[in-house]
Amino acid sequence: MSILSWLKRRRRLDEEDFREEVRAHLAIAAKERMADGADERSAHYGALKEFGNVTLTTEAARHVWTPRWVDALQDQVSDVRYAIRALKKNPGFSLTVAGVLTLGIGLNAAVFTMLKGMALSPLAGVGDSARLAVVFGETGAGRPVGLSYPDYRQLRDHDRAFSGLFGSSLAKVNLGRGRGARQIWAELVTGSYFQVLGVRAGRGRTLLPSDDIAPGRHPVVVLGAGLWRRDFGSDPDIVGKTVEINDHALTVVGVADPAFRGTTVVYEVEAFIPVMMAPQLGFSFGSQETTASGILSDRRATLFYPQGYLRPGTTLAQAAAQTGALWAALSRDRPLTDAVQRLRVVPFRETPGGAPSFVLPTLGVLSAMGLLVLTIACANIAGLVLVRGLSRRGEIAVRQALGATRTRIVRLLIVENLVLALPGAFLGVLLARQGIPVLVEYAEWLATPERVFFNMEVDLFVVGFAALVACGSALVFGLVPALRSSRVDLVSVIGEDASPRGAARSGLRAGLVVAQVAVSVLLVVGAGLVTRSLEAARRADPGFDASQVTAIALDVKQNGYDEARGRVFFHKLLEAARADAGVESATLAEHIPMGLLDTRARQVAIDGYEPRRGEDLAFMSNTVGSDYFRTLRIQLTAGRGFEDRDDETSAPVAIVNDTLARRFWGGASNAIGKRMRVAEGAWRTVVGVAADVKYSRIDESPRPYFYLPLLQSYRSSMVLHTRGASPVNRLVDQARGCVAALDGDLPILYARPMTETTRGALIFFDLAATMLFVFGVAGMALAAMGTYGLVSYSVEQSRREVGIRMALGASGHAVVRGFAGRGLRLGALGAALGAVAALGASRLLGSVLYGVSATDDTSFARALAIVLGGVLVATVVPAWRAARTNPLIALRHQ
Amino acid sequence: MILHSSRPDARTDLLHGTLDMLILRTLQWGPQHGYAIAQAIRAQSSDVLQVEAGSLYPALQRLARQGRLTPKWGQTEANQRAKFYRLTPEGKKQLLREQSRWAELVHAISRVMTPVPAPASEE
Repeated sequence: MSILSWLKRRRRLDEEDFREEVRAHLAIAAKERMADGADERSAHYGALKEFGNVTLTTEAARHVWTPRWVDALQDQVSDVRYAIRALKKNPGFSLTVAGVLTLGIGLNAAVFTMLKGMALSPLAGVGDSARLAVVFGETGAGRPVGLSYPDYRQLRDHDRAFSGLFGSSLAKVNLGRGRGARQIWAELVTGSYFQVLGVRAGRGRTLLPSDDIAPGRHPVVVLGAGLWRRDFGSDPDIVGKTVEINDHALTVVGVADPAFRGTTVVYEVEAFIPVMMAPQLGFSFGSQETTASGILSDRRATLFYPQGYLRPGTTLAQAAAQTGALWAALSRDRPLTDAVQRLRVVPFRETPGGAPSFVLPTLGVLSAMGLLVLTIACANIAGLVLVRGLSRRGEIAVRQALGATRTRIVRLLIVENLVLALPGAFLGVLLARQGIPVLVEYAEWLATPERVFFNMEVDLFVVGFAALVACGSALVFGLVPALRSSRVDLVSVIGEDASPRGAARSGLRAGLVVAQVAVSVLLVVGAGLVTRSLEAARRADPGFDASQVTAIALDVKQNGYDEARGRVFFHKLLEAARADAGVESATLAEHIPMGLLDTRARQVAIDGYEPRRGEDLAFMSNTVGSDYFRTLRIQLTAGRGFEDRDDETSAPVAIVNDTLARRFWGGASNAIGKRMRVAEGAWRTVVGVAADVKYSRIDESPRPYFYLPLLQSYRSSMVLHTRGASPVNRLVDQARGCVAALDGDLPILYARPMTETTRGALIFFDLAATMLFVFGVAGMALAAMGTYGLVSYSVEQSRREVGIRMALGASGHAVVRGFAGRGLRLGALGAALGAVAALGASRLLGSVLYGVSATDDTSFARALAIVLGGVLVATVVPAWRAARTNPLIALRHQ
Repeated sequence: MILHSSRPDARTDLLHGTLDMLILRTLQWGPQHGYAIAQAIRAQSSDVLQVEAGSLYPALQRLARQGRLTPKWGQTEANQRAKFYRLTPEGKKQLLREQSRWAELVHAISRVMTPVPAPASEE
């Protein structure tokens, strides 16, 4: 505004100067006339007459000194001022529109913020992270496989498609030892990691290529800024100190940039360790067990998906071709026995197993729903603007009569709509800003004790998006009514004060009602389908029974136990837990089913089965204690569960699931007594077949899986499960007590009812269903409001007709029936259109639905009933009010 | 509401330039104020060219904006306050350009109005 006021001041000065000049001119001219003998009065008038029109001259001179754009700007400013004044006069209307828009834009801004966090800038603190490309191998069965360090090195050194490549493997590590120890997420990274990402150190240095040379020779770590702040109190002298990670002292060489949270979307990564340290820190990798020094040479020791930025001008397809050619050459030179068939290059958001890959479809549906809500909001406001336009016909007619062009009037009306829309955008962004933290907190609560991080900040990007959406909606809801209102027939307006409903206008109104009803059917069907799919997912049988079961996670390595001591500890723990009052059974397991993430698949060999070339024989597995299947109530379809006699001295055994048994032996009963082995291990006899379980997510399809007994396959990190009849929280406390009694210094990673640990697998259904429900309700409410407004307005306009009818003897019922019939006809038309659109659109929902067909009858019937019910109420209430009016008053009204 | 009048400077270039030229020419002999400029043009054209204030002042404003004149408040001989316009070097150059353009124009028009008889070619 300061430029404007400066211009104004300058112009005022110019004008004063000019007026002064004119006065001087007149004075000189008058004096000359007086010198010629005229008297003062006639001299003055003569001069004035000679001069001509002073105002016109001033105006002409003013045009010389004001640039055209200032004029245009002044027009705009006056338009805006006028719009504000007009809107102030009608606060009910203005507030309604602002409220409706706030809701519409707020929902969209929130969804956009999430979409941005997943697709546009998935990694905080990394510039242009959406442009990262990811390389991974794929088996014949379509299972993604990481690449080994030697393969990565080959690509890094020879792949011209990438300007740089790095590798990073997410790992859970123990930080510290004893009572204060805890588990954090770390990334095992190559030396190029920070350089390729362009992430700098906030303190000290980042990891460098020189930290990536010899296995076990780089005992250093870069801490995440969050860890440094929380666990080390932002210690300024942290660089050079050592921290204990997985029982190894690592020297802190730096703290990462505070904005950076690693390259694993959703997980907050708190430490960055050279991948060369992986074997020393106790990580085994690949589907086969590899020796410590094998990391540099063993091509089966798969570690990570290499990622990097493509060179400018290189497309993904070119990169895939180039990388594929390199891989083919590599495989010719040194054949790989593993099942990788080909390499694929995909954009970062499609990283296999990455959060964006399974969240984005849901977010896509949410965005579509958000836009539908906004559409309804716009239709709603268009209705209001239209009605308001009718009441302003007088004003517009006067403007036209005074010579305003139609463009000028349309411009004025559009400016008015923009003035209406922008507060909606502002409040919408505020709404999103308030709403997102609530959602994030909810997700964080669901994820505890894992630390999660969502790159979901309401930033300028979001504000820009909201402003764009607001302007777009202003045009949508403002343009048609503006064009219509600007076409006023002067004669008709001046001839009659208030008008009956013009045919064209009521057509537009009917169109708006139909559109709103149609879109709300679409929304409610969508919300219904997703809600029912959530119900189905909750009801679905995961193959185990988590109720009345506890889950207490611990890692005995955190208090320095070696394998021998660990075995003793676990044995004592099970004994103690089973001895507790009210505990029916207790067991130990490496993994919890429905843990959301796939666990590592391990290569198996089946006795007597000759794999096809390139066949994928790596399956996920679990290491469990005795009584596992009884405790989790997983059905055994053949044979027996593990028992205490299956220890290291007895014959190696395994239990497989139904799908594995069917695939290799033709059925559960045939599987008993057959042999298989894991990696290069000993042959194991199959002693039991367990029913299929949902191992990672509720919507996964059946897959082969096997179990190994803990006593024959030691793991330090286990989950204790107990089952009993007493309240589950008491069971949790008892189990926690057992651990504390055995070793008070051993940290408990978490202790809670098992139902809480499996809800993570439902988190996305849950969030999506909650949001879609909100969208459905919001859209429905808006549509009902809009329909009510439009119908009641048309009833209001027909008061005279009602009066006449009733004066002629029509009953109130007949009047209500008449209006309700008209409203319902429109509603039915809209509902039919909406149902057809929903049939087409719900197919797109397929990817987020579970256990419900996209054309589910119940959802459609429910949606139609709800929407038509809303329309009925919105019609009958105003009609009933009209029927109650006194005919005389209605007639006098005109 | 703002009504747009058609802009006064949308007149033909010919007249436009001519008035500018007359003003510049008048100021050649020294700074003058608006009234005196109008009077001088009128007197020198023997009352044929009467410059209206409505054309004169916008033209003065325009010339001043283009940097061909510099306005300055001063006193007339009769001790009256008036705004005097002085020719700038740029204004002088412009006057020369206008003069030669004008001469060309007059020459061209006169050739059209009084054509040289075509030489007889047949007899």
